[in-house]
Amino acid sequence: MNSSAIRNWLGYSTLALMLAALFMVFDYVPPEAEQGIAQLIFYFHVPLAWVAFASFGLVAIAGIFYLWLGDQLWDDLGYAAAETGMVFCTLMIVAGSIWAKPIWGTWWTWDSRLTTTFILWLMYGGYLMLRASADDTPQVARFAAVLGIVAVLDVPIVIASVRLWRTIHPAVLVTKQGGHGLEDPRMVATLLVCLAAFTALWAWLLMLRFTQLRTRSRMSALAVRIAFATAAASDKQVMELG
Amino acid sequence: MSGFAAVLRKDLRLELRSGESTLALLALSMLVLVVLVFALDAARVRSVDAAAGALWVAMVFAGMLGANRALLAERDNGAMRGLLLSPLDPATLYAAKFAVALIFMAVAEVGAVILMVLFFNLEFDASIARLAPILALGALGFSALATLLSAITGRTRGGDMLLPILAVPIFVPALIAGVKASAAALAGAQLASMGDWLKIMIAFDVLFVTAGYLLFEHVVGED
Repeated sequence: MNSSAIRNWLGYSTLALMLAALFMVFDYVPPEAEQGIAQLIFYFHVPLAWVAFASFGLVAIAGIFYLWLGDQLWDDLGYAAAETGMVFCTLMIVAGSIWAKPIWGTWWTWDSRLTTTFILWLMYGGYLMLRASADDTPQVARFAAVLGIVAVLDVPIVIASVRLWRTIHPAVLVTKQGGHGLEDPRMVATLLVCLAAFTALWAWLLMLRFTQLRTRSRMSALAVRIAFATAAASDKQVMELG
Repeated sequence: MSGFAAVLRKDLRLELRSGESTLALLALSMLVLVVLVFALDAARVRSVDAAAGALWVAMVFAGMLGANRALLAERDNGAMRGLLLSPLDPATLYAAKFAVALIFMAVAEVGAVILMVLFFNLEFDASIARLAPILALGALGFSALATLLSAITGRTRGGDMLLPILAVPIFVPALIAGVKASAAALAGAQLASMGDWLKIMIAFDVLFVTAGYLLFEHVVGED
């Protein structure tokens, strides 16, 4: 199977999974008793968070491989991951904010998880601004790789410091105190389908962008070769005429 | 080690003869404190929280300028290429530039602390002495980070505008810890009672000094 066939297959799987996820969220799963309908946002919010953090991890991994092997492929992968991660991270913050308004009574609060996510969003915003402020050269690829690695190294310290600072975010999934567990098996099933749907969407978008960046890299390499060949040919002509 | 000493000596001699960078850093720290005195209306009330916050804002701004200054001299006339062609390890060059940025920042911080005490109606007492290790840890981490990042931003179109955009979010953990620990120290707390904050700052410092030392060669290398 070639890469465009995989891409198409991923696209159709995303479509099918997304339709299933929408059906399950709006028709199948019972909303949580206390929070009511607002709790349904949870089924989008959590998968969005997962793919956002997975993308940022991928940026760092691609950065390490780029510095190690120097292959343009890793730079293109890091760039594609940073862009898709930024989209999903923004959507996660927006979805969380819409949920927070009825439940917490405020769009935004400086809770530890929110703050950490927002700082991550700022870091990768900076990463994309760095990429935008320079031409695509091996130099910028190295800069981006270094920044991607440094940002991920910073994440544990951000989490530790912000947690010490404050926290009110509901406990994730099953906690020792009970609390915000997913009591109904239908809730678990819905969450799993949503996770699969968003992971497929992410993989599809990432692959589209990655393929596009690969094509661009190959074209610019080709342009350099053509320029060299043209220059060599005109030199030869000058020599012959002379 | 001699390469490290040579670069450090060169930069410090340049600074001693011109005084440009430290003066600019001191002026910037003072202006930030003045702006914050007006913004927080701190002239009348004796507020340690406002003072600690203002001090760290001044420090972040001065730190960015300091790291920029440490590398600025090498941008003209291809001086950076000369340094890279010399038998000097890029990691050693990083260590020297980091040391220069740290010294600039330390000078600015001493000035900023004195001004903070005057502007925010505090006293020169033991609490100011307890600020010293906290500020030293903060300056260490910030100059390590800013030296690495200004080597990047100095070579892009965004230039110096990009440095705060990249450096501030990454510095956030040390900033939270530093502001909290400084406010506690100014309120009279002992260093032992702020162990968690100091641990976060130490972790940040160790991480970014190491990362800068290892990654600098990828940043300054020529294509």
